[in-house]
Amino acid sequence: MLFGLIADIIKILIVFAGLLMSAAYLTLLERKIAARIQNRMGPMEAGFHGLLQPIADGIKLFFKEDIIPSGANRLLFFLAPIIVVIPALTTFAVIPFGAPVKIMGHIVPLQVADVNIGILFILALTSLGVYGVVLGGWASNSKYSLLGAIRTAAQMISYEIPLVLSIIGVIMIAGDLSLSKIVSEQSNIWFVVYQPVGFIIYLIASTAEMNRVPFDLGEAEGELVAGFHTEYSSMEFAFYFIGEYAQMVVNSAIIVTLFLGGWQGPFLPSVLWFLIKVFFVILIYLWLRWTYPRLRYDELMDLGWKVLLPLALANIVVTGFIMILIKG
Amino acid sequence: MEELFYIFSFIAIFSALMVVIMRNPLTSALYLILCFFALAGLYVMLDMQFLAAMQILVYAGAIMVLVVLVIMLLNISRIKNVKSDLHQKIIGILIALILFIEIIVYIYNGAQKNPTGIFTEALIKKVGNTKIIGQFLFTVYMLPFEIASVLLLVAIVGAYLFAKKKY
Repeated sequence: MLFGLIADIIKILIVFAGLLMSAAYLTLLERKIAARIQNRMGPMEAGFHGLLQPIADGIKLFFKEDIIPSGANRLLFFLAPIIVVIPALTTFAVIPFGAPVKIMGHIVPLQVADVNIGILFILALTSLGVYGVVLGGWASNSKYSLLGAIRTAAQMISYEIPLVLSIIGVIMIAGDLSLSKIVSEQSNIWFVVYQPVGFIIYLIASTAEMNRVPFDLGEAEGELVAGFHTEYSSMEFAFYFIGEYAQMVVNSAIIVTLFLGGWQGPFLPSVLWFLIKVFFVILIYLWLRWTYPRLRYDELMDLGWKVLLPLALANIVVTGFIMILIKG
Repeated sequence: MEELFYIFSFIAIFSALMVVIMRNPLTSALYLILCFFALAGLYVMLDMQFLAAMQILVYAGAIMVLVVLVIMLLNISRIKNVKSDLHQKIIGILIALILFIEIIVYIYNGAQKNPTGIFTEALIKKVGNTKIIGQFLFTVYMLPFEIASVLLLVAIVGAYLFAKKKY
């Protein structure tokens, strides 16, 4: 009992520290990759090849003056960035990040909580991140922020449906909602082989859900200054950043768990496999950002409702037919 | 576990009250979300994890986002001089009375009952209630389930017709 409790606390601490650290260093990775793609060097001054840059940024943001616009709703203005971070951190609780290990005669699963509705838990929590953006934009009492918030809310509703539907194929094949079961079902072959369409739809819809380029209409620098976080400065602004990058890590981990075999892989330790796969999915997200221009608003809606949604529905029907044909 | 029940139900009742009392519609909407979370907590305590997840996914994650979006689009920051007439009062009092009677009926008939079917608590724990709900929905309760989905389809078509109408 006591052993289990201590193990749980240690796991929670590792997950929290890991997520926050990776969120901080993803900012550096993003800047470095952007620099590569645009044929420049990126941050080079702080530390070796800019390795201390995230810490310098953190210190700078920490000491910046905290400006609250007049007429802003103070409570919501403070709460909104926190609402972005918390669902992103909590979602990781159900993701298995390694094979169960044996410590002192106890088998410890490398997963904070094995909930029997794992996927639904993830979907429920990721659907809440939008409140941080929407409330932040509304509470700022600025027209640019409000426009960004309204755009984001409409976009989120459109992309949530394909996101959920793209996962259903995986659930049908695995026959279970628990993430540890889904990972163990993929010991022979990754689900991306059975579900290539689902994988691509999830990748696109999750990019839209995270508000990243080419779907970052909520912040669109060219039109809305900085969109929903125009009025934010100091640590609240940093919280939006942490939330966005933590969401990226979590979404990559979900993709790895659902489509790319989770922590399974030969030779190397399971945790390392998990990290390598997550890193590659993150690279795809970064690559997308620095390759594609932003979509126009009507194009965004068309893509969501007229392309992704029918495709996701067709994917479910085809998966069902093939499953019945194979099983006879 | 009993303490948890009281905590959740206190949050649910408090936030439900605040939904009605608050002057700012957006604050009311946020309290409604809090209320949904408390209800989800109660569902988890009843071993209905599926229902809890759906409560948050559908109500807090989708429907309330729409409600917040509409409030922001119309930019109603404060309800000013609410008009109230006799009709509203009569209907309100009637609904409150009916709800009150319902609560009393529930309290009188709500004594603990033992499960009568084949689904004992141990079996539900073993199979998982999501599977059982799925099986029932697509076998015994197929017709009501499909009728509900047709109803939703009708609603979608209706909304489309209204939106397309030119004035």
